[in-house]
Amino acid sequence: MIHQLRPSAPALALLPALALLPVLVVVLVGAHGGGVEIWVSFLAGAFQPSLEPSLIRALLGALQITLATALTGWGCSLLLGVLLGCLSSERLWLTWRLPSWPATMLRRLLALPRSVHELIWGLLLLQVLGLHPWVAVAAITIPYASLVARVWRDQLQSLDPSGLEAMLQAGATPMAACLTALSPAMGAVLMTYGGYRLECALRSATLLGVFGLGGLGMDLELSLKSLRFHELWTGLWLLAVVSIVLEQLLRSWRRRSVQAQFGQRQVVWFSLLAVLAAGVGALWLQHLFPDAGPLRWLPVTWPNPDSLLQAAQELPWLSMVWETLLLTLLAAGIAIGLPPLVLLVSPTRIWQLCLSGLWALARLMPPPLTVLLLLLSNHPTLAIGALALGLHNSGVMGRLLQEGLDQQDPSVRTALLSSGASDQVSWLYGLLSPRSPSHLAYGAYRSDVILRETVVVGLIGGSGLGWQLLESLSSFHWSAVVLLIATYAALTLLGEWLSDRSRQHWLQS
Amino acid sequence: MTSLLTLHQVRLAGPHGDRLSSITFELQNRERVALLGRSGSGKSSLIAVINGSLSPDDGRVLFRGSALQGLSRRQRALIGTLWQDLRLIEELSIGQNVNAGALGRRRLPWALANLLFRIDSESTRRCLRLAGLEESLLAESGLDRPVGQLSGGQRQRVALARLFLQQADLMLADEPLASLDPSIAAEVLNRLLARDSDGALLSGAKAVVVSLHRPELIDRFDRVLGLRQGALVIDAPADEVSARDLSELYAP
Repeated sequence: MIHQLRPSAPALALLPALALLPVLVVVLVGAHGGGVEIWVSFLAGAFQPSLEPSLIRALLGALQITLATALTGWGCSLLLGVLLGCLSSERLWLTWRLPSWPATMLRRLLALPRSVHELIWGLLLLQVLGLHPWVAVAAITIPYASLVARVWRDQLQSLDPSGLEAMLQAGATPMAACLTALSPAMGAVLMTYGGYRLECALRSATLLGVFGLGGLGMDLELSLKSLRFHELWTGLWLLAVVSIVLEQLLRSWRRRSVQAQFGQRQVVWFSLLAVLAAGVGALWLQHLFPDAGPLRWLPVTWPNPDSLLQAAQELPWLSMVWETLLLTLLAAGIAIGLPPLVLLVSPTRIWQLCLSGLWALARLMPPPLTVLLLLLSNHPTLAIGALALGLHNSGVMGRLLQEGLDQQDPSVRTALLSSGASDQVSWLYGLLSPRSPSHLAYGAYRSDVILRETVVVGLIGGSGLGWQLLESLSSFHWSAVVLLIATYAALTLLGEWLSDRSRQHWLQS
Repeated sequence: MTSLLTLHQVRLAGPHGDRLSSITFELQNRERVALLGRSGSGKSSLIAVINGSLSPDDGRVLFRGSALQGLSRRQRALIGTLWQDLRLIEELSIGQNVNAGALGRRRLPWALANLLFRIDSESTRRCLRLAGLEESLLAESGLDRPVGQLSGGQRQRVALARLFLQQADLMLADEPLASLDPSIAAEVLNRLLARDSDGALLSGAKAVVVSLHRPELIDRFDRVLGLRQGALVIDAPADEVSARDLSELYAP
């Protein structure tokens, strides 16, 4: 007899997929007949990408811009992030016998650049610096450096201090004690998290291109808007090859980092690599844009308190915030719930391989392009944005879930199969159940990312703060821009706090 | 009459020679069998072959006259195992773990409901009582406790209750006493082997096979199977197995 609702971790991993229901209903009801033809030609384009030499040359040129931007942004953000992470660690200040309040202040200050999505940084810098290759680099570097700083600082704070204290007691200098006691454990962090950020940097550089900051994203967007799907797929396949090569390199890199014994060496090697990446990327950009010249500030009229007050009264706060939160909830639901749900449909190896391909495609496709694609056969609604954002993040969550399931001990599943449980049920209880707490913990982190990313689809999908921000930026309404960015920052900081608590709960459970 | 279980010339290859070789025996209803042998003699492999989680390289395994590999899910559910490492699902509660014993008879919607709701049936509690779980954990809130919070003895009882709920005809137990203190071990064994006045097993099983590393307990069984280096060297009624047979079985 069923008594009470008591959802367990695996049920909580599946339940968020319910978000798909309202989203699909709205999308399917809003679809118009003409869209079918467009979708058929889009899908057909995947099998017949254009191989015209001039197009491939142009796309390779654009890909170089994306890669150079990603590499430079990644290298700079890593170096800056590690430096800021050290400076915002109270432990390091205390090691030097200095008061720790500057570290606390810096840590709080860094929350602001972190809370603003790289796309907003890109659009803002575009307004104040004009179109320049380093705008995209700066747009990636600013939030990424703050994110790296936070992770680096948190890791430094969480290390056991006894080794450090013992060395200081023995008369070692603070620098020598830190390098000896702390750097071994930090090497692995740098290798795994730093590698992950390179993947993110490639995605961000592509995304910034979609919004006019140059590179492959711009070409993809133009091909899509002019319905040249064969050309679009040439670009997507090119991006797929680069992404897959990068993923494989990072995977073997992570594998080596697990086996490596000397964390200090990893820190040194990785720092050198970051310097090299930043240098090579910068030279590459210089080579691609020889006439770019130095960055120049364009005249901007900063808002005064009166104009801020007026803008605050004009903006539709309630609907904007509500739409942003709803977009986050629906997209996060799809991102968390869809991967285990589709795996449950048929937990066979062949189906898993098919899904791996789908996850790769979902990760590859920048969400704004998915929105544009959906808008070819639909009306602009919040559901379109949620679907695009949810699918893109499902690609990230799906890959991680699959990797985790592959490493899961199969003994419980074997036991269930031997007791007559079906393939699906034994997968659900024997593999998904043990994996679900870590899936939910990562889902909490991903929800935080999705909240930041709502601006990306909001800009195109016509919903939430993102839409309003684009309108205000286009009309140079700086008072509204400042207020909207401040609201975004407050929302994402709140989301970050909630996500941290939820992640801790699942990791400890 | 068809035997409950038949093994004929079963061979299981391993990385360093055969793990089981030429195993042949039949098992009838109401038999309580002790499976003895030194560590590495093939006891766990034999249990895994009988419950179908390992397929033999040669020979046949028949359950009620049908080949094991051809059994339907429901027929497969008639063979239950108490695993040495228990194989409980740490993320689920006591109640959900016990209910997992019924998964061989149930479909996906019920399996999902068990993860979502507290499915509190009388049979769940009966099996937990039969397994000897203390009354405080049988209360509603007790059944919601994650198994990760239980002691070793309590976990053993939850695994036993899951086995009872499976309502298997053939119950297999792989070293169920290995990590238990003697008093709990004796109680667990009693609960597996207890019979009613008609001679039927209280657990509801038709027969039970228990692998042991403590030969002094064989007087509680009807029959003894002794394995040595993967070969069946003893197959005799428990009261006919001598101390010499046992010392030869365990000789280095």
